[in-house]
Formats: sequence, structure tokens, C-alpha cells
Amino acid sequence: MIPLTYFLACSMVLYIIGLYCLVVKRNMIRLLIALEIMMNAASLNFIAFSSYGVAGFTHPLAHAFTIMSIGIGGCIIAIGLAITLHAYRHYKTLDVRKLRRLSH
Amino acid sequence: MFTTLLDTILFFTVTTPLLDLLAQKIGKKRFAEAYSLLGFIVSIILLPSLYHEVLTEGIIVIKSSILPMGTCFIIDTLSLVMVTIFLLIGLMASIHSIRYMEGDTPLAGYYTMLLCIVAGMIGVALAGDLFTLFIFWEVMCVSSYTLVAFRTGKWAPVEAGYKYLIMSAAGSITILYAMSLLYGMAGTLNIAYLSISLTQAEGGVWTYLSLTLIIVGFGLQAGMAPLHTWLPDAHSAAPSPVSALLSGAMVKTSVYGLIRILVVLFVPMRTEWQVIVAIFAILTMFTGNIVALLQDDVKRLLAFSTVANIGYILIGLATGSLQGLTGCLFQILNHAICKTLLFLCTGSFERQAKTRSLKELAGIWRTMPLTSTAFAIGAVTIAGIPPLSIFWSEVTIILAVSEAGMLLCSAFMIVNMAISAAYCLRMVQLIVVKDVTSTSKNATEAPLSMLIPILILASLSIVIGLFPSSFLAITEKAALAALNIQAYISAVFQG
Repeated sequence: MIPLTYFLACSMVLYIIGLYCLVVKRNMIRLLIALEIMMNAASLNFIAFSSYGVAGFTHPLAHAFTIMSIGIGGCIIAIGLAITLHAYRHYKTLDVRKLRRLSH
Repeated sequence: MFTTLLDTILFFTVTTPLLDLLAQKIGKKRFAEAYSLLGFIVSIILLPSLYHEVLTEGIIVIKSSILPMGTCFIIDTLSLVMVTIFLLIGLMASIHSIRYMEGDTPLAGYYTMLLCIVAGMIGVALAGDLFTLFIFWEVMCVSSYTLVAFRTGKWAPVEAGYKYLIMSAAGSITILYAMSLLYGMAGTLNIAYLSISLTQAEGGVWTYLSLTLIIVGFGLQAGMAPLHTWLPDAHSAAPSPVSALLSGAMVKTSVYGLIRILVVLFVPMRTEWQVIVAIFAILTMFTGNIVALLQDDVKRLLAFSTVANIGYILIGLATGSLQGLTGCLFQILNHAICKTLLFLCTGSFERQAKTRSLKELAGIWRTMPLTSTAFAIGAVTIAGIPPLSIFWSEVTIILAVSEAGMLLCSAFMIVNMAISAAYCLRMVQLIVVKDVTSTSKNATEAPLSMLIPILILASLSIVIGLFPSSFLAITEKAALAALNIQAYISAVFQG
């Protein structure tokens, strides 16, 4: 059986990749994908912990939570894409660094 | 399903768009407004009975199944105080929206989201486990993204909405990640059970990591510097009633989350989180106040003032004492009322004079006397002038901070109060004393439905200022409920 540490390390790496993308990338859709990656890191943690808590038993709470959080993630991305669409109509670009009119 | 209160407001949320569709068919154009107002009023009517129940029976626990596995709602004085604030501000914002949002479409969507955001906040306040808390937290966040970016025809709300969505979603996911770590350590998400197992466990790396992630995640939504950058943009670009709701209630929900989780969960790491929160609080109040001095846009100025006030609230939390938490909750109440008042007044100015620039609004007292007087009352209150409400809460916080031995922090806070008085009195001077400009000369007094919430909030803030002791007693009870971890845990075990 794969040790729990591997899952934890994997989810940590996923979280950091997501955060890195969020800070570095310029494309608005990529930022949304970065959010999705971070969310998956948390979901992976939940699923891994649910199976490793008690031997031979899978905790149902974490699965319920993960399914709910995937649904919520879908909502966030849907609204994000809708806003991105409107932003593209106003700015004619997907470069997030062009969205700086408010701070002037 | 949940509690009657939450059921009611969720029922109204779900039925508003459906019934509005039918109402449009028979030609009732303004159905959604009236129906959502009814929703808020019915929910407020349900509050006293719930309050009475908590007073007589103590903490109420409503659970879905056997406890460490299932989810539950816990209603105590702290959550009831928060729920009262949310519902009051929701009602005021929706009354103000009737005229403010007149020309916008789709109105049914707007009012549904207004009900939805309040339902989310109430759910967070009543949640007894992190599962429920996170679901309602996201209900609140997702509806606030749509409300900020509601006017998609203009560029400013879209830009602010996108920025806000990315930052806030990253914050929520950080909270989710911290929850997954807590779940891994304790095998449950129930706050009371988690508290027990964290007390028994030694504070390892994972506990510290989850503590940091929780503070960062909730702090981001609360507008804690240096993560506050979304707040001024979102507040200034959103429709004014929404800004009032964001500043008055949503930001406070995150502070509530911090209070609940830090006080109950991280008992063994009390000193650590107190230090972290205190550092962030000082940083937050300085950033907010200093940047607010430089603003000309009224809504941006008020947004930065919100950031500063979050600093005061957090420093009260950082003491961890009864008096500090009382001051923190009293400041939450006062600031919620005042800031809602100020944002709603700004909304009226925006509608009548078509500008948000302070320079152009100068002297508007002569053409819009009632709104401007209410605005001046709000601004003077925020400045912390003695007999008014915020003065009492700030004094309570400063006394508690000094008593806790953080003299430097209380000195910083006094400096900040002086800075905030400077820009608040400047606003009053511009609005009331200065000569009229060409813009403000042509403005007319706001319609009655905009004046009603403004006058109610203004008189409420004066009443709190004149009779602070009874309100202080209520918030003290709430602070006591927050700090009484033993009662909280035993209620969950027995319930």
C-alpha cells in the first residue's frame, strides 16, 4: 500500500503549483485553472486521509465533503468564466495585467 | 431542515426567481423587490423567539445524524448577535436598492443574490462544524462575486469582480486546505470534537501550518493587510447597497469565523495566534488609515476606512480576554451600522448627483440636507468623537489591550484613531461647510425609500452612542459565549 506521506507530498506540490500559477501567469483563464488545481490538492488530502484514518474503513464524511467542494469549485469557475467573458468584451484581451484601470 | 430562520431565508432565496418568472407573465414588474423584502422581514420576526429559546435553554444543538460523523448547527448568543447584524443590514440594503437599482436588469437575480448572501452569512454564523461552515461560506462568497460584478455593462465592476473572485477563491481554497489538514489530524470536522483532539495532541508542524492557513484564508476575506487589495476595488465598483452589505456584514462574517475557530480550536496555541493576529492588526490599521487620507473617491475612502476598522476589531480579538472580545464585538456592531449608513448615503449621492468624487460633492448639504446630515452623523461616528457609538467600542478595545500588557499596540491604535478622525472630519467639512459646486447645486433630495434606511441607521447609531451600556451588555454576553469553550463542547456532547 502506498504510504500516506506520498499523498500528502503530492497534494502539497499541487497546491504550490496552483499558487505559483496564480502569482506568475498572465492569462485570465489560466488563473482559473490554477484555482481548480489548488482545490484538487485539498480534495486529494481529504480522500487520502479518509482511507488512512482507520485500517480497512473509509470515512464517509470526507467523501461527502469532497463531492460538495467539487460542486462548489464548479460554481466558482463558472462565475469566473462568465466574468472573464465580460472582461474580454471590455478590454479585448485576456492579459490580466491589463486589468489595472481601477488603481489609477 | 436546519433552523426555522435559515429555512425561511433559504426558502425565499429559492422561490424568488421562480415566483418572479410567474409574476412577470401576469405583468407584475416589481415583484422580486417586494418578495425579498418580505423574506427579510419574516426572518427578522423569527429572531426574537430564537433569542428567547437560547436565553432559556442555553446553547441549542441541531444535528443531522450521530455527531462526530454528521453535521450540526450550534446556536449561542454570539451567533445570534451576528445573525441580527446580518439581517438588519440585509433589510436596509434591500430597502435602499428599490430606487437605487431601478434601471438595472435582471432585478430578480439581484434580489435573489441579496437573499443568498445573507443566507450564507447566517449559515456561517450558525455552523457547528467546518463542513457546514465551508458550504455556507462558499454560498456567501459565490453570491458576492456575482453581486460585485452585477453591472457587467461597465468595465469597473467586471475588473473588480475578477480580481475579487481570484483572490477570494484562493483564500477559500486555503481555508479548505487547512480544514483537510485538521481533518487528517483529528478524523472529524466537528469544531467541538476537533478542539478536544487538538488539545490532547502536541502542537506539531501540521497544526501550526493549519493555523497559519486559517488565519491567512479568513484574513483575506476580512480585508487584512497585506491581503486587502481586493477590498477597495470591490467596494468602490459594486452597487452601493452591495458595498454596504460587503463592508457591514460580509467582512464581519470572516472575523466571526476567525473568532470561532481561533478561540475554540486552537486553545493550546493561544499565545502564537494572539501574536500573529496582533501583528496583522497593526499593519491593517496603519495601511487602511494612511491610504484613506489620500482618497478622493468617497467609496474608496470608506473602503480603506473599513480596512482600518478591521484592524481595530482584530486587535480586540488578539487580546483573547473577555473585555477585548467584548470590545471587538461591540466594534463589529457599531462599525456595521455606521459603515452601512455611510455607503447607503454615498449611494444616494451617487444617484442624485451622478458623482462619487468628494471635491464635486462639496457643499451638497444645501441641496440634500437629510442625506448629508445622516452622512455627517456617520462620518463623525467613524471618527470616534466622544458621545457617539464607535468611541465607546474603541475605548473598550484600548482599555482591554492596555490591560493585556500590549501597551505599544494601544499607543498605535490611538495614533490611528487620530488619523481616522482627520479624514472623517475632512469629509464632514467638505460635505457640510464648503460652498456648493456646479454638480452638487443640481442635486435634489433622495426619494423616501432611500431616506428610510438611512434615517433608521443614523438614529440607531445615535441611540447606541447615548445608551451604550445595554448594547455593551449584549455584546459582553456574546463574548462570554465565545470564550466559554467548556459550555460549547459539553452542549455538543449532550445534544
